[in-house]
Amino acid sequence: MHISEGVLSPAVLAGGAALAVVGAAVGLKKIDYEAIPRVAILSAAFFVASLIHVPIGPVGVHLVLNGLMGLLLGWMAVPAILIALFLQALLFQFGGLTVLGVNTVTMAAPAVFCFYAYRGLLRRPGMAAGVAAFAGGATAILLSGGLVAAALITTGQAFLQVAELVLLAHIPVMIIEGVITLFIFLFLKKVRPEMLEGIYA
Amino acid sequence: MPEKYFLLRRKPVFRGPAVLLLLSVLTAATPALAHLALIFAYAEGDTIHTESAFVPDTPVRQGKILVMDKKTEKVLLTGQTDDRGKFSFKIPAEAAAQKMDLEIVLEAAMGHRAEWLLKADSYLTGAGAGKTAPPAGAASPSPAAAPETKAGDPERQRFEEALNQALERQLAPLREKLTELSIRRTSLPDIIGGIGYILGLFGLWAYFQSKRIKNP
Repeated sequence: MHISEGVLSPAVLAGGAALAVVGAAVGLKKIDYEAIPRVAILSAAFFVASLIHVPIGPVGVHLVLNGLMGLLLGWMAVPAILIALFLQALLFQFGGLTVLGVNTVTMAAPAVFCFYAYRGLLRRPGMAAGVAAFAGGATAILLSGGLVAAALITTGQAFLQVAELVLLAHIPVMIIEGVITLFIFLFLKKVRPEMLEGIYA
Repeated sequence: MPEKYFLLRRKPVFRGPAVLLLLSVLTAATPALAHLALIFAYAEGDTIHTESAFVPDTPVRQGKILVMDKKTEKVLLTGQTDDRGKFSFKIPAEAAAQKMDLEIVLEAAMGHRAEWLLKADSYLTGAGAGKTAPPAGAASPSPAAAPETKAGDPERQRFEEALNQALERQLAPLREKLTELSIRRTSLPDIIGGIGYILGLFGLWAYFQSKRIKNP
């Protein structure tokens, strides 16, 4: 999911960085005092999730958890993802500092999208919320893959070819993330409903 | 009273880090790390071997390899990794002649890219320091041992050549191992440190927010 340093053109990098700054600013505005611990925990979860390797599919892939972050944080997921990606670039050499903006956009934009797309369903009781949680986790990965492919078109790689590869590689991740998001959502709903207050706000 | 509210919330909120810590310890215990492409290269005689992998151990199949001159960025040759992520090529004649530092770039799928710098001295030692490269095409085979340019006792020369070859054979695995070791891999301190940074940063923020709420 992380695009490496030296792959994209300066224009794409600058565009990604600008979008990431705007998104992070919107997110930061929305973080109030009570939300800080929630954002911190999910940022740390995202930071670690990339280390969980999914050994299925044509290339090695890892968990992203951006769907879960979107559902729980909405816009606040953007700064949370930005910080986690920054530290991943610094400590693990995933992605890179120049690609930080683009990587933030490819992972955070689907998170925010899923928040607004599934918020209505998540508020409902019973099955509907569960289905929405699963769909949120899976959709975020799908969209992230699409955005990665879109960012790579500019390097001259054929969009459909890349998109196909990214999609194939991430089908197992989509399912796994959907299940993880579903279980975490159900768990929080039962045990710690105040973690979900973003959905009801 | 926001302060009191925060204190009340403290207990449930701090269960998260414990789960994270457990998660990170689990992931570190299994050697499964993340998705980062790596390439490394070493010379053996007149051949340069490269190996490419996604961290931790998935070989990069059909990844594109570019061999470039470090200074001019001119692409000397390109290739594709096999099913084990390996790609080998003969040292290009012009690279040996001009003592180029080689920059070997891996372009794997989905925007993964990795580089490896192979200094001239580290790949030219193999077949003798004063070696003149045979005028061969980039990927075409060249004779295993190049003749020494220095004039000298022919027997001594042959002996030196044989010695060089034997040494090279013996050193190749060592060199491979050294190269592999020099690749920086994610370690448990990195992971725990990163989590610490995140919680610390947000803690700092919460601290200043709490100050602001106290004295508006």
